[in-house]
Amino acid sequence: MLDYDIVIVGGGGAGLYAALWAAENTILKVAVMTKVYPTRSHTGAAEGGINAVLTHSVGDSPEAHAYDTVKGSDFLADQDAVDIMCKMGAAVIYDIAHRGVPFSRRPDGRIAQRPFGGASFPRTCYAADKTGFYILQTLYEQCLKNNVTFLNEWFLLSIIHNGERVEGITAWDIRNGGVHLIKTKAVILATGGHARVYWNRTSNALGNTGDGTAAALRAGLPLKDMEFIQFHPTGLAKTGILVTEGARGEGGYLRNKDGERFMKRYAPEKMELAPRDIVARAIQTEIDEGRGCGPNGDYICLDLTHLGEERIKERLPQTREHAILYEGVDPVKEPIPIAPTAHYSMGGIDTDKLGRTPIKGLYAAGECACISVHGANRLGGNSLLDILVYGRLTALEAVKYADDAPETNPSVAKLKDDEKRILELMEASGKEKVPQLRRELGETMMKHFGVFREESSMKEGLEKLYGIKERAKEVKVYDTSKKFNTDLISTLEFLNLVDLAPAIAIPAIERRESRGSHARKDYPKRDDKNFLKHSVVNLEEDGSYKLSWKPVVITKFPPEERKY
Amino acid sequence: METVKLQVFRYDPEKDSSPYYKEYEVPVEGTLLNALLYIKDNIDPTLSFRAFCRSEVCGSCSMRVNGKVKLACKTSMKELVETWKGKPLRIDPLKHMNVIKDLVVDIDKPIEKMKTLIPWLVPDPRVVPTDPMHESIIYPEEMKAYKDQINCMLCFSCYSACEAVEDNSRYRGPFAFSRAYRFQVDRRDIETAKERRIRYSISGGLWSCVQCQKCLYVCPKGVKPAEDIQNLRGQAIKKGFTDKPGAKKLKHYVDWIYATGQINRLYLPEEVYGNKEAKDKLTKAFQEMGVEVWEVPKPTKGLMKFRDIYLEILSKEDKALDLDFSHVRKIDKMVSDIFKADICTIVDRVHEREDKAKGLIGKLKGLIGGK
Repeated sequence: MLDYDIVIVGGGGAGLYAALWAAENTILKVAVMTKVYPTRSHTGAAEGGINAVLTHSVGDSPEAHAYDTVKGSDFLADQDAVDIMCKMGAAVIYDIAHRGVPFSRRPDGRIAQRPFGGASFPRTCYAADKTGFYILQTLYEQCLKNNVTFLNEWFLLSIIHNGERVEGITAWDIRNGGVHLIKTKAVILATGGHARVYWNRTSNALGNTGDGTAAALRAGLPLKDMEFIQFHPTGLAKTGILVTEGARGEGGYLRNKDGERFMKRYAPEKMELAPRDIVARAIQTEIDEGRGCGPNGDYICLDLTHLGEERIKERLPQTREHAILYEGVDPVKEPIPIAPTAHYSMGGIDTDKLGRTPIKGLYAAGECACISVHGANRLGGNSLLDILVYGRLTALEAVKYADDAPETNPSVAKLKDDEKRILELMEASGKEKVPQLRRELGETMMKHFGVFREESSMKEGLEKLYGIKERAKEVKVYDTSKKFNTDLISTLEFLNLVDLAPAIAIPAIERRESRGSHARKDYPKRDDKNFLKHSVVNLEEDGSYKLSWKPVVITKFPPEERKY
Repeated sequence: METVKLQVFRYDPEKDSSPYYKEYEVPVEGTLLNALLYIKDNIDPTLSFRAFCRSEVCGSCSMRVNGKVKLACKTSMKELVETWKGKPLRIDPLKHMNVIKDLVVDIDKPIEKMKTLIPWLVPDPRVVPTDPMHESIIYPEEMKAYKDQINCMLCFSCYSACEAVEDNSRYRGPFAFSRAYRFQVDRRDIETAKERRIRYSISGGLWSCVQCQKCLYVCPKGVKPAEDIQNLRGQAIKKGFTDKPGAKKLKHYVDWIYATGQINRLYLPEEVYGNKEAKDKLTKAFQEMGVEVWEVPKPTKGLMKFRDIYLEILSKEDKALDLDFSHVRKIDKMVSDIFKADICTIVDRVHEREDKAKGLIGKLKGLIGGK
């Protein structure tokens, strides 16, 4: 049995930063477990930047950043947590810059900042258009420097706790095969988002399947605000692959088939730089009302041509590369076809303002967590900040806890269960096929829980989701080899999505208002009287989902109408 | 729908006694990664390969197509079919790493090797403030020095293509040198770390690179390891790490070419490998072959002008200090002794003598030479 003091599950930005802060602040045994190699993590795909008020941001303040974040969240974010995050901005930026992140610089040598959607001040620090990539690579280098223990290519199966504190986890060793019991005093879940539940149209990597969130749900932990999924306005039309918000930050225009900059009808002041939910809805409305471009009218044009070749090549090299490869369009000469794509999960494992879950020693950080700093809609540039701030805070919390916590004694029952479960998957009938069901899952989510939502359609959708969940019991793993069995992994990932989908659908139906990314045609207005509260979903013993509600923490900023 | 056949390398060490190829018919659309996912979803779920981001930032899906290293998510099926004229495409795992299963290789070893080169920032406290709320100033121009190296995403394409890895398993690999070099040109990195990186690079095979430049061509992100390796070698010599044959060879080239316009084939074995007998043996061999042989190369025409140009080139590349002038002076003395004249005038005098001897032809040559 493997034995650690702290296990960090996930090797993206949150996980690596947590590992780094844990490694530098304790002599406890810390390990990072990740289902891929750390540098593959999806933090690497974050392009645009990271928001922070720096010491040279004259006129800006952490309060202004907090206000923008709360307003962007449509007042659903917990303001005490937002306050913590925004105040730590400069500290984490300087810390990672000192560790080697090559932030783009102003001519005077200070970290450059650019405007981003929903922000009242240009406070998004960036490193060309590969900010997340450079942060991930740098954190990995620093983890190597600090001799962090990695369990690379291990897949989380279950979280073991005694109802009060966490005792360990079980995991599948992808490379060699086999279920392992890992004893640990503390666990930080940093497993990323679950937007892959919209399988067919998402900006997410193949593996953003909410593994930690699903394991937490199965272990009886509450999930919060799951109905809020951010649709990024600009996904490449054919694949859903992301075009960074930086493209609009640099001055890109959105045009419909008439060449009109239609954002003037939706957000006359901020135009293209309005927050993501508003831009995504504007694009979807243009497409729905027949003003989309192309032969099927199913996309909108992102026009960068007026920026000039030099600026595009210097500031948006990756955007250009992707547009050429996946759409066959060179943004220097032609506009890029784009449409909204499922991008970010605001909801996740319910934690308090320091990333603690109701189970002692169990923490969540980054996209898998709902702290909540993003509320009903996340601002661009706030997710990289979130993963760093909360990676660091949960690490310090975990160190503090694990220092005094007594040894744990996890039972082997879960290990046996998981071994049995995997064996059963390999021996199943195979009446249903994962790729087919996964496509259906994605279609159902997009159709019934997409950019716009409506009661009757969502109820129909939920029935379909239950149907898929039932049929998913018949799926089979065909590959019986122990080593690098990707058939097994993709099946387990799919089953995680299947567990999570109803947890998104149920609060979406019950939240009878429009707030942030949750846009209901039948309830187009925000309803603070009835719904200024977090939804909380639990999985009951009998497999049913239980919905409850929880108050929002409001400190400085009373709710007001959200206009841009 | 247009299709093409993929012959995919299959191997499960626990079940198969040896690797084999399995043929799949896939649609010609999108990327090679799309084709592999198509196989997994529709034909054979047991095929294993790594893939994650789909958008060429994570570096998971590198493999070989008909021997050429490719990133599957960056490789258009249409282009592949056009390049190989519709012939079957053979998909292999990367080279130089053990196969775990099918297209999945063990990348732990190259990562362990890379770690020995200190590929991380070791901050110099005089440049990087220890106060976390104090910003360190870096000018945009100085970041240009490592603008390419920071794009390495550990896809191991270069490692697979590298000839030095093929010959020497201790060789750290092209990407490792690039990732180390990135900090050699970062002002924030402390001098002692830079020195150690050089030391470890040398023991990690810095001079084993044969400059075949393959790494430079296969890198999907425009990193140029071969160039970084050359620059690391330059740094090694500048820092006085001149005891390796590669460093000595470079020193021999730089000094002799500056001094005489060409390398010295008689002295090279001694100066590089310390072989003292080689000179006499070679002299004898040349004489037996009837080849005219001088102890030092005959100075070329216009040598002084050549030296100016050569020095200018070296200065531009910031390598002027690589020249060892005490060595050059020694060579000059040998030249003067053998050709019985002062080095500044000798070149022209030697050629004058020749010109006279060769009469008309010599005069013509002189005319062409611009005299």
